[in-house]
Amino acid sequence: MALIISALLIMTPVILALIGSTHTTFEANLYPPKITPGSAGITNYIRAWDFGLGRMMLNTIFVAAVVSVGKIVLSLLAALAFVYFDFRFKSLIFVFILITMMFPTPVRIVALYDLVESLKMGDSYLALTAPYLASATGIFLFRQHFRSIPSSLADAARVDGAGPLRFLAYILIPMSMSAIGALAMIQFIYMWNQYLWPLIIISSEEKQLIQLGLRMLMQDLAGEQEWGLAMAGVVISLLPPLFIFILLQGQFRKGYALAEEK
Amino acid sequence: MWRRLLVVSLMVGLLVLTALATSQAAVKIVFWHAMGGWRIPVIERMCADFNLEYPEFEVVPSWKGSYDETFVASIAAARAGKAPHILHVTQPITREAIDSGIFAVAEDLIDRFGMEVKWEDYIDAVLDTYRVGGRLYCFPWNSSSAILYYNKTLFEKAGVSLSRKPTFEDIIEVGNKIVDGGYATYAITWPILYWWVQQWMAEQGQNVVDNENGRAGRPTKAYLTSDASIQAYEWWKQLYDEGLWVNPGRSAWGEALRIFTSHESAMFISTTAHVTAVQKSSAEGGWELETTFLPIPEGTERCGGTVGGGTLWVTKDHPDEQLKAATKFVVWMSDTAQTIRWHQLTGYYPIKKTAVEILEREGWFEEKPSYRTAIDQLLETKSIPATQSALFGAFRAVEDLMEIAFEEIMGGKPVEEALAKANDKANKAIAEYRRVIGEPIERK
Amino acid sequence: MAAKFPQKAMAYFLLAPTILICLLFLYYPTGRTVSLTFYKVAFFGLKKIYVGSDNFKELFTSADYLQSVLVSFIFTGASIVLSMTISLVLAILLNQKVRGIGIYVIAIIWPYTLSFAVAGTIWSYLFNPAVGMINYLLESLFRIKPDWISIGPLALIMIIVTTTWKSLGYNVIFFLAALQHIPRELLEAANVDGANDLQRFWKIILPLLTPTIFFLLVMNSIHCFFTSYGMISIMTEGGPAGATNIMVYKLVHDGFNMFKTGYASAQSLILFVIVVAFTLIQFRVAGRRVHYGGA
Repeated sequence: MALIISALLIMTPVILALIGSTHTTFEANLYPPKITPGSAGITNYIRAWDFGLGRMMLNTIFVAAVVSVGKIVLSLLAALAFVYFDFRFKSLIFVFILITMMFPTPVRIVALYDLVESLKMGDSYLALTAPYLASATGIFLFRQHFRSIPSSLADAARVDGAGPLRFLAYILIPMSMSAIGALAMIQFIYMWNQYLWPLIIISSEEKQLIQLGLRMLMQDLAGEQEWGLAMAGVVISLLPPLFIFILLQGQFRKGYALAEEK
Repeated sequence: MWRRLLVVSLMVGLLVLTALATSQAAVKIVFWHAMGGWRIPVIERMCADFNLEYPEFEVVPSWKGSYDETFVASIAAARAGKAPHILHVTQPITREAIDSGIFAVAEDLIDRFGMEVKWEDYIDAVLDTYRVGGRLYCFPWNSSSAILYYNKTLFEKAGVSLSRKPTFEDIIEVGNKIVDGGYATYAITWPILYWWVQQWMAEQGQNVVDNENGRAGRPTKAYLTSDASIQAYEWWKQLYDEGLWVNPGRSAWGEALRIFTSHESAMFISTTAHVTAVQKSSAEGGWELETTFLPIPEGTERCGGTVGGGTLWVTKDHPDEQLKAATKFVVWMSDTAQTIRWHQLTGYYPIKKTAVEILEREGWFEEKPSYRTAIDQLLETKSIPATQSALFGAFRAVEDLMEIAFEEIMGGKPVEEALAKANDKANKAIAEYRRVIGEPIERK
Repeated sequence: MAAKFPQKAMAYFLLAPTILICLLFLYYPTGRTVSLTFYKVAFFGLKKIYVGSDNFKELFTSADYLQSVLVSFIFTGASIVLSMTISLVLAILLNQKVRGIGIYVIAIIWPYTLSFAVAGTIWSYLFNPAVGMINYLLESLFRIKPDWISIGPLALIMIIVTTTWKSLGYNVIFFLAALQHIPRELLEAANVDGANDLQRFWKIILPLLTPTIFFLLVMNSIHCFFTSYGMISIMTEGGPAGATNIMVYKLVHDGFNMFKTGYASAQSLILFVIVVAFTLIQFRVAGRRVHYGGA
């Protein structure tokens, strides 16, 4: 089946990385490239772990969870406002929020650092989460989604005397589970992959996030690039997002099922 | 029962307080460095050793990204008043570090705290690189030079050999024999990096910029179109055109190493800091490693290469006791014992003459001759501005230009044209830096 | 359109948190940096001189910059087209109520969880012209060894492939979610009417997918224009000779490696304007073409 081939093709680089993580540096540098598991076994994993990956992953899970939840809540509220209300400056505000997606992070990073430090938030989990809570992506996504929900439902809610928040909680949210699931997954992964901001704002070892740890392993500064070690780190750091992934992709099924019962 | 509990908790409380009291007595120093990978635990161990030896101090090392990222993070932190005490800075940014005004001058700190440092014991070439106007601004730490590595086993099979001080022509000759004979796919490789160009210019006594390479005053122009530079690039281009040199990528140290250790290339130019890795590979792979000085054009008088790597800088705005602790630490890092240890672990050379002597006595160099090559090359270096490395704010920009010039040459542009364009841009960058900075910022 | 709730003031309350965060953490810092576009800055503001519009003049006359803009569009365009087409096909294949389909879903979407930097590192290793896996295969099978990092167009292909691979997951997630939302009855009705697969696709599925396609177009553009920075930094550093020097890479390079803050700020302003314009155009087109099923 075409599916098997595609899946294999796509997974190949990751499989190679997995195999590579068991290679000693000597084996990693062979040519023709070695594609069988190497003799380092799990030593690379142990070494990688000793760089503090465990703590970093915990930190990142915490931060990613907080941001995901926060973003979903804020985006739902905002999308509700945009789709089901008419108010002055609606288009303007929408654009105002949307274009924040186009502010490249590196540009504002030093000024953001200044701001965060002056608010006495430096080197804190708050600094790692607050700047990410607004999500143009989320609002955009939910807006698109809400607009494809039959208007008859909103009318029915009004007739029943339900306010907007009840409408949101009892009708919109259940109908948007797949979108929420998708957004949660995306945001989790997005936070999981953050590097620059955590690097600049966090100075305590205990609060570091996972991408920094990975970089530590991959950094090739006039030194030996230990492919095995780096790949072990990559594999370890892939596990939580993968887990969240597997967990949340069940949401699709739910969303699908819900659409059937009208 | 309760009485017992009370007594126990009081004792625990007392213990905790004592612990807190004594731990608070340790002056905490933050040290940001850019050495990633397996070197992180090495540095941590060294700092731990320092902390043991001097319990009144506590040095906390952190990896903060690449050299550039570390510098950016430090400036940002300094602006917020939270600069790290010690920063690891790479050689080309020396001028900018001085101009930023956030660092204290090394020599001043040493004098101020009355520390004993035997300057004569340091290898001259290293100190010369970091002395500006006679003052030493920073503390040498991981210093390295460029050397050529080759696979002796492969060479013997191909029936070729290389002298300890090869020339450009030697490389071409040997390279052709090896590739034509099918002994290796490529003759030689090195990452596209400004450093080699700077070395080749220095070897020929050519300054990168005027005003004595920026050391007699801020420069006004670059010399990328000098004969020395053109010769280097022409040779490089020839190697590329003839399929002798393969491109591992820009700043692709690891890839270049890999190409060499996998035997796809018979030779490899890199930093001496790679010697541990290469040595290990040759031991595991069962082939013999040999190293030589950097190749230079035939008929040129060898002046020596430049000192690369990084140094340790101490930032200004801290209370005295912290500055003292930081100074103590950086001096300790280049103590004979530490410098030997660092050298043996990494390949960066021991920057003290005594260290070299001790290593010699212990037979280290006989056992591992490759570790010696860079040091020999260094000791034979003439002390001229060219080998002391250029000192100017736009160095970073010129680095880029040197590298991109070669990429354009690979794309077909003639050497002279590419270099003329690069030189033009270099001059503009120099002018712009002078325009913005003018004079160093005076803080305090 | 959906009927509106009458409590207008409430809308503002609902939006307040989002607006506050945007203002504080997005607009304010960006604004401060952008104010530097009229200066030549050193050390992020420790020293600066006013230069008026010099930064902009320099940019508009810089061949490097113009190349950067061109490369950005080529890169983004090619990556998006490739990625979305393949993703749609994959999503359709995955949209089957078969046991164990979940495993394929995971296998195909997984690469998306990698950061651009990690994806770049892995692919860089594979694409290495001298000792990489790809060239090893190409040489064994076809006797060619393309120099992926020394030849401009090849380097561009390399980053397009990497980006496409990485973004498949993102697009597949959304396409799949959308496909699974298409009411069965519609598809069944079409069958009853005698429509074949292709007609079903063009007449029913595709139009219903348009909101998703539009959403993905916008998101993918943003990823290509902005987030791909990490990959470029690791794989090509913008080379060779600017062939992969996309705008975001160039501006970060100028700002953080060359420490030319003012110049970088000017570039980010222009990049911002370009992407906003590009997105607004997409919105315009969407207004006419996108079909919202419900409202």
